[in-house]
Amino acid sequence: MLEEQLIAVEALVIVSLLVASIVAIAVRRIRLPYTAALVLVGLFVAVEGDQLILQLTPGSSWILYESVPEFIQSLLDFNPEFILALFVPPLIFEAAFHLEFNQLRSNLVPILILAVPGVVLSTLIVAGIISISIGLSLAVAVVFGALISATDPVAVVALFRDLGVPRRLSVSVEGESLFNDGVAIVIFNIAITAAIVGSFSLVQGIAVFLWVSLGGLGIGAALAWLVSRAIIRIDDYFVEITLTVVLAYGAYLTAEELHVSGVLAVVAAGIISGNKGRQGMSPTTQIVLLSFWEYGAFLANSLIFLLIGIKINIAQLIPPFGFIMVAVFAVLVARAIVVYGLLWLTRLGRGEGHVPMSWRHVFFWGGLRGAISLALALSLSTKPIPERGLLQVMAFGVVLFTLLAQGTTIQFLLKWLGLAEQPAHIVAREMQLGRLYAAQAGLSRLADLRHDGLLAGDVWAGLRDEYHETSSQLSQEMIQLYVRHPELEREALLQARREALRAERVALSDAFRQGLISEHVYRELTTEVDRRLDALTLISEATILPTTSEA
Amino acid sequence: MGPIVCATRGGEASRRTQERAIALAREREAPLIFLFVADTNFAHPSNPALAEVLADEMERLGKGLLYIARTRAEEQGVSAEMVVRNGAVRQAIEAFLREVQASTLILGAPGTGSEKKTFSPGELPQIAQEINTTTGVEVIVVG
Repeated sequence: MLEEQLIAVEALVIVSLLVASIVAIAVRRIRLPYTAALVLVGLFVAVEGDQLILQLTPGSSWILYESVPEFIQSLLDFNPEFILALFVPPLIFEAAFHLEFNQLRSNLVPILILAVPGVVLSTLIVAGIISISIGLSLAVAVVFGALISATDPVAVVALFRDLGVPRRLSVSVEGESLFNDGVAIVIFNIAITAAIVGSFSLVQGIAVFLWVSLGGLGIGAALAWLVSRAIIRIDDYFVEITLTVVLAYGAYLTAEELHVSGVLAVVAAGIISGNKGRQGMSPTTQIVLLSFWEYGAFLANSLIFLLIGIKINIAQLIPPFGFIMVAVFAVLVARAIVVYGLLWLTRLGRGEGHVPMSWRHVFFWGGLRGAISLALALSLSTKPIPERGLLQVMAFGVVLFTLLAQGTTIQFLLKWLGLAEQPAHIVAREMQLGRLYAAQAGLSRLADLRHDGLLAGDVWAGLRDEYHETSSQLSQEMIQLYVRHPELEREALLQARREALRAERVALSDAFRQGLISEHVYRELTTEVDRRLDALTLISEATILPTTSEA
Repeated sequence: MGPIVCATRGGEASRRTQERAIALAREREAPLIFLFVADTNFAHPSNPALAEVLADEMERLGKGLLYIARTRAEEQGVSAEMVVRNGAVRQAIEAFLREVQASTLILGAPGTGSEKKTFSPGELPQIAQEINTTTGVEVIVVG
């Protein structure tokens, strides 16, 4: 019986992955955000009884799968704790692992403004609007405000990568989401307790908030420190990948077990292991590890957004359509006030972390809602909260609106703001550099083959001359490009210095592994290299402006 | 005749500014100095260790840019010196002009590209005039 269940689960997961792959291929042609497309596909799929059916029009349905196992049915019922524990660690860990300290540091002001006071303000504004408009009690409205305040930029960040949006903007959007997920969950739990108990103490609320947030961050940081120390001493990428999996899930589960924030624990674990832990990895391990986590996040995203689509029943959204529109309005108003109001504060600083107006438009319209909001909404099923059915439907409606309306139009906004395209001369330089790099790699490989006696002399000579000619032509074209755009020379110098410093860091790791230098010396020298990389980031940001319209 | 000083920072106007300086040095048979000012005031790093490496990295960048400029001059048969100074751009330039008793300062006026400028295009003529008044050195702005 158990074997049959397991095989059924396996078959269903494979069908889901096949659907996800087809959707991923299709969206490349129509430029629809991948996650939005998955939700759309999922909307036509539903579970009725123990059957998975495809319903294109009312009255016509096809059975996709019979005897859906109980395990899958419970997954489709969105057991929220299970969903969070299964999908959140890979999603959050992968995003956090990619964030570099220096990039995070230089954007920390806007990220923290949006993620901490921003989420609190958004919660209160949404709560105020829906409480007044719909007549919900303020305590219940605050629960909704909190659960809907966590942004989910998966769809937006994927577009950023495709369209070549400035890296600093992408880091800010990802950073905000990482931290506001954790903050929103903490506020949600406090609000739930207040709604159930019927009273709320501000002092106690702040104390719980600090304890849960800092506790989560502390646990994640401590575990990441331990794992990073282990990774420095190991040079086996299978073991290193396994340790990061243990870290991602271990940080989440340990924090939850200790009643502090699991999400923030994963955020801290991801950021620290992605920066400190990565220093101790060989280049091969880094490549394999990054690919592994990217794929893990792709899998988690594919399954969760497909499940969201399957879970949302369009018919269920029609009767309370008016309430959903009020919720959408409240969420947009709150986001506008938070983004345009609070980010204005970054102008008061010394120029560090200033967010241009065009970026604020992207923060506003790119503030999509997704998996975390839905999981929190669904977790209401097990809690004695009045009007929880209405809160769930409103959350589904808002998520659907942000994915389908905002997610599908953000690309036009990016293009209109001039953020979607890099200046032509920068693209041209990248193109030349890529071609030159490829030509030299080809020539180097031919030289190896010739050296090993695997390439005849005349064949080698003919191909070599061809490659030399190509390289020489590309170099000339590069020089011409520098004549027309001398500022590229400065960028080339900065890039070369960055590459050299990264090579220095890898060499230090090798020297430490081989026992040539002590851990103390290794740490001191790598800290200096990191500091120099930070300095280069500051120089780059000070000399090159994004193509924006300033406020 | 005092040397011609060409202040450069590797921006979009740098190529034409350097070419103008090289042509002028050849025409007047005057010594040519390429100057880069490593000004770290933009960053305000709170960490002193970061401030130190920031200044060092700015100097490295400056040396790299000046090396390219000097090579460009040498290819045209003009020998040039390269000097890196630290501090606020305008003050450092003025101090250097006095130090070497320069005859001419050449500055670039960037176009309307997306990069940040040391001096905004609007204020550049006035700054050139002020440097000329303060130091008595001829200032040429290359647009």
